[in-house]
Amino acid sequence: MLSDPTFLAIQVLNGLQLASLLFLLSVGLSVVFGLMNFINLAHGTLYMLGAYIGLSLVRWTGSYWIAFAIAPLCVAAIGAVFHVVLLRRMQAASPMRQVLVTFGLIYVGLDSVRYFWGDYSHSFDAPESLAGMVHLFGESYPAYRLFVIAFGLGVLLVLYLALEKTRLGAVVRAGVDDTETASAIGLNVSGTFFLVFCLGCALAGLAGVVAAPVLSIYPGMGISILISTLIVVVVGGPGSLAGAAFGALLVGMVETFGQVLAPSYAGMVLYGLMALVLVVRPAGLFPARASR
Amino acid sequence: MLGAERWRTATAVLMVAIAAVAWWNAGYFAHELIQQVAILAIFAMSLDLLVGFTGMVSLGHAAFFGLGAYATAALQVMFGWTVLEAMAGAIGVGAIGALLVGSFAVRLSGVFFIMVTLAVGEALHAYLFKDRAFGGDDGMGGIERLDLSAIGLSLDDPVAFSVFVIGVAVAVYVFLETIVRSPFGRILQAIHSNPARVRALGCPVPRYKLAVFTLAGAIAALAGSLSAQHTAFISPELLTWTTSGEVLIVVIVGGMGSLIGPVVGAAVVVLATHYVSGLTNYWMMIMGLFFIAVVVFAGNGLYGTIDAFRIQLSRWTRATR
Repeated sequence: MLSDPTFLAIQVLNGLQLASLLFLLSVGLSVVFGLMNFINLAHGTLYMLGAYIGLSLVRWTGSYWIAFAIAPLCVAAIGAVFHVVLLRRMQAASPMRQVLVTFGLIYVGLDSVRYFWGDYSHSFDAPESLAGMVHLFGESYPAYRLFVIAFGLGVLLVLYLALEKTRLGAVVRAGVDDTETASAIGLNVSGTFFLVFCLGCALAGLAGVVAAPVLSIYPGMGISILISTLIVVVVGGPGSLAGAAFGALLVGMVETFGQVLAPSYAGMVLYGLMALVLVVRPAGLFPARASR
Repeated sequence: MLGAERWRTATAVLMVAIAAVAWWNAGYFAHELIQQVAILAIFAMSLDLLVGFTGMVSLGHAAFFGLGAYATAALQVMFGWTVLEAMAGAIGVGAIGALLVGSFAVRLSGVFFIMVTLAVGEALHAYLFKDRAFGGDDGMGGIERLDLSAIGLSLDDPVAFSVFVIGVAVAVYVFLETIVRSPFGRILQAIHSNPARVRALGCPVPRYKLAVFTLAGAIAALAGSLSAQHTAFISPELLTWTTSGEVLIVVIVGGMGSLIGPVVGAAVVVLATHYVSGLTNYWMMIMGLFFIAVVVFAGNGLYGTIDAFRIQLSRWTRATR
């Protein structure tokens, strides 16, 4: 199969598309982890909420682009409320209890979605401007999937510039590198953390909207992608933009080719990879912190 | 005079008494619930050894529960082993599986350990779901229960099977209580409170963590084996994150680090799930909210509340003397 260049090219594109979604999901999770040493296990739930809110907006307004613009804001607002109501008051407690609270939120999110949208799977169509096919390598490939790839690259570029060229980006980098010192020299690390947390939530919601026309929307979608996202974060290195991008690329490719070549073992390869990285380079392939 | 450990033993005796009364009055369905509580209690106690005593929060403990269930089924149905041999095999498979996972996982701590255990559990689930060798997503049936006709018991009778699983749960409790009170158990608790200091004292912390992870995996596999015999059926469902999550909820709600707390938690969660799922389709939401409330407001769980009463009592007796 792999000797067929057309097949290979299509699979590479599929891999890039999955990588693009995983990047949108993992970047917020990764930077929050780097800043506060706290992992939000309900991150997949936010992705799911993005998709479902997008579904309602598309049904209500008939426009994909309205869903694309509004759903992430709704998800960011939900994330902000949870942060203020639950997570902030847990900050003094151990990070473990924060993680457990977000774990409880997975259950709440799952049943909320079942309550409002039902048990069945849904989907909505790509916008008309992107509904066609593009001819590539003698095959036709959906234009929307190319848009997903391009969008992921665009977000990567914007985040890179924001992180390297703006004051906020500098504060984030300082906070990830050494939280205590950053606070001690007067940087508002917890305020920045809140902003980054909300941005991460919005990106997760955005990933949900972007994924909906390609993957189906169902109550368990959040948890199945959460695992892949965690692998991206661990393999790439928590807190690192390059790590999230590279990790997403690696996981996207391994998952796509694994599904085609060895469906039974695709998962195992990925987890094996994560285990290997954790043993050999516990800080990930692109550690965000200078080694101390 | 009212030591924490003696109070624990008293609670354990009380739980056994409650189980005995429930058993005496149980109909067919109540026996079903008793068996569920006992099996979940064994599973939860094994996780408490990790979470409560050693401070290793695992979100993939269902992997070893599932390994035990699958090994029991596969060894019996596919290889024709007797149930007793299959049970022993299942415990062995659980221990070996935990040893393999632990060999790299124990180097990690905190959030990293959570993520790796979650991922390993889901990996095994994904494999068993897809690969047809063990029935794939259809699962496997035809599992028999242990043959105790030598002592005049037929475990196909729910009354006898209840006694059997309660007996195993008590044996596991006594065994783990002995472990926890041994020098080995004291070191585990020391690792929980301050791993750096334990290392400074010259103890090989990872080796202790690996030992306890393997032990917990073996006991979880025993619970899994009992579960396979209970329902006579296995499916990848046994290894999902929700199973790992449910047992963690049992440990936290019951009160971690008390061994008897998870037993109390198992009883409360099984009965509450049974009751709430009869009222509403959305019992996961209720369980989730209850779990969050316990984590936020009552960090020490139900047994923590019982134990607080002991502390009050001993303060009061000291004051009156």
